[in-house]
This record gives sequence, structure tokens and C-alpha cells, in this order.
Amino acid sequence: MALVAALRRLSHASLGFYSWRAAAATPTFGAWITGQRSFTVGSQPLRSDKVTVHFINRDGDKITVKGSPGESLLDVVINEDLDIDGFGACEGTLACSTCHLIFEDDVFKKLGRITDEEMDMLDLAYGLTDTSRLGCQVCLSKSLDGLVAKVPESVADARQSQDG
Amino acid sequence: MSVMNKLTTTCWTNFYGDRRNKQMLFVLRCLHKSATSGTFGVAREEPLPERLITSTDATKKRLPKTLAEMPGPGTISNLFEFFWRDGFSRIHEIQIEHSKMYGKIFKSRFGPQLVVSVADRDLVAEVLRAEGVAPQRANMESWHEYRDMRRRSTGLISAEGEDWLRMRSVLRQLIMRPRDVAVFSDDVSEVVDDLIKRIVCLRSQSSDGTTICNINDLFFKYAMEGIAAILYECRLGCLSQKIPQETEDYIDALHLMFSSFKTTMYAGAIPKWLRPVFPKPWEEFCDSWDGLFRFSCVHVDKRLKQIESQLQRGEKVTGGLLTYMLVAKEMSVEEIYANVTEMLLAGVDTTSFTLSWASYLLARHPDVQQQIHAEVMRVLGSEKVATAEDVQHLPFIRGLVKETLRLFPVLPGNGRITQDDMVLGGYFIPKGTQLALCHYSTSLDDENFPSSLEFRPDRWIRKHSSDRLDNFGSIPFGYGIRSCIGKRIAELEMHLALIRIIQKFHVCVSPLTTDVKAKTHGLLCPGAPINLQFIDREI
Repeated sequence: MALVAALRRLSHASLGFYSWRAAAATPTFGAWITGQRSFTVGSQPLRSDKVTVHFINRDGDKITVKGSPGESLLDVVINEDLDIDGFGACEGTLACSTCHLIFEDDVFKKLGRITDEEMDMLDLAYGLTDTSRLGCQVCLSKSLDGLVAKVPESVADARQSQDG
Repeated sequence: MSVMNKLTTTCWTNFYGDRRNKQMLFVLRCLHKSATSGTFGVAREEPLPERLITSTDATKKRLPKTLAEMPGPGTISNLFEFFWRDGFSRIHEIQIEHSKMYGKIFKSRFGPQLVVSVADRDLVAEVLRAEGVAPQRANMESWHEYRDMRRRSTGLISAEGEDWLRMRSVLRQLIMRPRDVAVFSDDVSEVVDDLIKRIVCLRSQSSDGTTICNINDLFFKYAMEGIAAILYECRLGCLSQKIPQETEDYIDALHLMFSSFKTTMYAGAIPKWLRPVFPKPWEEFCDSWDGLFRFSCVHVDKRLKQIESQLQRGEKVTGGLLTYMLVAKEMSVEEIYANVTEMLLAGVDTTSFTLSWASYLLARHPDVQQQIHAEVMRVLGSEKVATAEDVQHLPFIRGLVKETLRLFPVLPGNGRITQDDMVLGGYFIPKGTQLALCHYSTSLDDENFPSSLEFRPDRWIRKHSSDRLDNFGSIPFGYGIRSCIGKRIAELEMHLALIRIIQKFHVCVSPLTTDVKAKTHGLLCPGAPINLQFIDREI
């Protein structure tokens, strides 16, 4: 129980600290030092500009949410506080592949270019498919309205079903 | 400091406030999960928890085996191997030998320390994929002791738990994303200019006018200059004819750190009460840390003073990584000292060894060098200075670095202390067990990489956009939340240096150098000096 208490303290202590800067709409450090982008956050898109996204969670549940153009799918998961176990552990810094998502063929083709760095991380994703992407690298646009993103089975799920 | 306090009233850190709560819920949830999924108390002698019992079918339950049943070398023979036969310098080879003898998962004892070695690609993946929010690498007690004694902060290498997670969350947002690191492209390019000048100067001093002896010496200075340009926002002069005294002192402190690496490994194992009898390892350890911290403090303080006077004059403060850290104040100045010190320590010889091996491999394989040269000529020509953006069009250069790190992973093994009970490879591994992930043996396993001993950068080139390379066998920078934070910076430094070297020179092995083998000295390094010839390319 001591550990639980310690972890509670830890999480409480951290409340004021974390800053989340993965969203495409917010500037990053890189932008700060080049001065190419200003610090002001752009005007909020109109409600009608929102893009509808359907996530199929690990348990098969469909979650429908809306996101703004320019946001990544990881941003949407964080902003909408979706309960997807272990999703986006490295906060969109391309150090893991926990925001792995699977798309339908036609949607996958519309998602834009995959960088080498994303490919390398995808290679390490569990349950990789030909239409897999990392959620932190897929940015919403109006043309993606209604897209379906499937969250793949996790390692733990696979183990449980084997055990069953 | 009053000026710095004024800075807190500026809104640098507050732009992201609206996202904080959501992020916190996310972190809280992770921590909660980590806490609730754990089994508390060490379960070595207890019956296995029901949830960990796996079965092949519904009727027949198969219990995981215990650590006692795990094969491995005997305690005495292991001590003999490491302390008498200097196994520490052959630790990478012993990894392979032991995995052949005992299988993909085996246990060894180093005095009181039990280590479970994992020498299988899929098992390594299993360990890293099961990680919680704040994975622990190894026991860093001696590092903590030094920091407590000198009232210093921990940095990303030595910190654990909450402290680690907080600093990692700040730093990964600054230097982990490829697009954030690409802004350092010009700074690194300037250091590459000096590297090339230095190569031309050094070779002209040799008797044949082409040879540079012990190339690692030069790459060490390049890597140090490169990382300092990014971390300290200043040039140290490592690549100039006359190196400034304070830089020389720092290089000495670094060398002392590395040369005492082995003794510090013992220093951790030697009980404190034995220190009066064997004081030297601990004293050297402290001396070298003193030197490293002193150097960082000088450079951080210098920048801090500049910022203060700029603000006093009412000037706008602009700058790079250090400026941002000092202005944003997401970490205390003491934490900034510790982090730049540890990042510099981690980012110099790792990069220089890899560059040394890469040039050695190019020199030993002229046909491969020719192919890569052709790619560079096609994309850039002989004069255009490459930027970070150009690298994506040079898959052979990326393949060269990956293949070099596969053959010579600078960290031949990595550690993890299990944070939960787990079943791995059919064995029950209790929480708190030290694991050794054997990257050297998985990298050189024919099952993972056919003809694994051959140098073939093209094995990393994708044939088409959906071509997948199952590469958990070679993860030189690690994977996941505790992977190398300097990965993208190191890649940038190596890519830009290698591109320019290939544009300018034909690299050949000097007759002075024959087959160079690797040895482990904390890191995997060349076992003998690598002497190379740099011959101008015909334009």
C-alpha cells in the first residue's frame, strides 16, 4: 500500500508541471528558436469546420468524437480524454509506437506521406498491418471527415485471449 | 536572479495551460494503472499469482518455471570469467557465448546481484512493450550518492520515478521530434565545416599526406563540439589548432570518467565500509564528476549572465536550447546543470565510436562506399551542403548508420528493473529483477538478420512504401518512453558528417590498420586505433 500512496503523492505533485505541446496548432520549441511561427495560437475553427472521427477501441466499442483540422489523432484522444489503454506514451515525440492505429484502405491512402522516422517506429508496433499509422503523425483535415481509426489489440489483450 | 524572477511573469510557460489538465488526467490514469496492476511485495518464494498462470489449453494448466529453474553460468565460473579473465571487456562476446550455451533467457550472478539476460528479439519486445510510465534502467546508487554529497540534482540518466518523468516530459518536447531537431541543422553544418578543415590539416601532417591516425580522437572532438554547440549554444574550439585550456580540462575529465568506468562499476559493488581500504575508485569517480559539473556550470552561468544583461538593456532574448530552458524555467537551474552534464556525457563517445566504425566499415568495403557516394552525388552533387531535410532523400546514408549500429551497437546491452511481476519466456520474473537486454546478440543473430556478420547497409532500404523491416533485433537507441533522448541529435550529427566526408573524400584503410575488433569499456568501442586515409575525390 505504501507504493500506492507514493504513486498518488507522485501524481498529485505532478499536477502543476506537465505541459502538453504535441498539438499541431501549438508552436514547438523548434518554432521558437527559428521564429518562423508566432506564439499566438490561431483563431479557433468554427464549429462547422470540425472533423468527425470514429475510434474503434480495443474492446470493439465505437467512440465518436470531433476534432479540429490540423490536430493530430493523438491530440484528439488527449483533448477528448478517451480511455485508450497505454495510448501515446511518448507524447507524440516519435520514440514509441503506442499510438498505433489501423485504417481502412481508402482512408489510409488519403492520410499523406509517411516520414522515415514514423516508418521506423511503425516497424516496432504490435500487430502491424499494411494500413497502420501512428496517431501522433496523422493530422485531421476536412477531407478526412468521418474517418474510422481502429485501435489494435494490445500485447496484454493477446495474452489474455491466449490464456482464456 | 531578480531578473530571472521577472521572467516568470512573462508567459513563456503558460501557452499550453489549457492542455495541462487533460494531460494530467492522462498521466494520472497511467500512474493509477501502473499502481493497480502491480503485485506488491516480492514473490520469490510465494506461490505464483493466479493471474500469471498461463495454459496451453483449457484442461491442462502449465505453470511458469521459477528463477531457480532458469539455466545460467555458475556463480564461481562467472566471477572467474569477469574478474580474472577480464570478461568486462568481452561482455558483448560473452553475451553471445552464454545465449548459445543457456538459451534465449538465462541468469547470471555478479556477487549479490542477480541478472536475468534476455537475448531474444521477441522477448526484448515483450519487456519493452510492457513498460509503465517511469521505467527504471539499473541501480544508480553511486551516482545518487555523489549528487547527494555535492547537493547536485539528478539528470535524465540518473533520475528515477517522479523526478525522471517530470524532466523527461520537459526535455522530450525540446529535442526528440525530428522537426524540432532539424533546426540545429545549420549549427551542426558549421561544426562539420571545421571537421573537414581539421581532416585536411591533420592528413597534411602525416608522412604520406593522407593518413589520420586514431580517427576516434578526431570524431570525439567533433561530437563534443557538435553537442556543445547545441547544448551550450557556444563553440568550444575542440577542432581548432589550439584547444582552449578549459576545454582541454573538460576533455580530461571526460576521459577520466570513461577510463574509470570499469572501476566505478566496481565502486558500486564495493561496500562503503571498504572505501578506506580501496579509496581510489570512489575518489576518481567524484573527481571526474566534479570536472564535468564544473564545465557545465561555467557555460550555463555564462549564458544566464548574457540573458540577464540583455534583459537589463531591454533587448529581446533569442537563442537556442539552453536559452529556452533558462527562460522557460520548466526545470530549476540546478536541474539544467545536471541535465546538460549528463547529456554531454552521453552524447560524445557514443557518437564518436559510431562515426569511427562507420568510416572504418566504408573503408573496408569500397564497393559499398561507391554505392553510397553515387547516391549522394545523385541527390546533392559534390558541393551542396546537406541539411536535415535532405537526409530523407538519402536512404543509403540512413542505412549506413543503422547497419553500423547493428554491427557495433555502442550500448551492447541495456538494463531494466522489472516494475511488476511478469512471465517471460516461460519463467516467472518477480518485480524488482534486474534484466539485461542483450542487444549485441540479437543484432548479430542470423535469424533476425540473414548473413548477420556481413556489412550490408542496403538491408535497411525499403523496397516500397509499405515494405516493413521487423527490426526489434537492432534497437541501438532503445525503444519507448525511456529510449535515448539524444537519438535525433546524434543521427543529425552522424548523417551530416558522413555525407560531407563521402562528398569530399575517398576513405581507405591505412596499411597501419588491420582487422579491428570491438571491446567493451562501458560502451562498445574500437579495440585498437583505427587509422584511415582520406583521399580527395576527383571533381
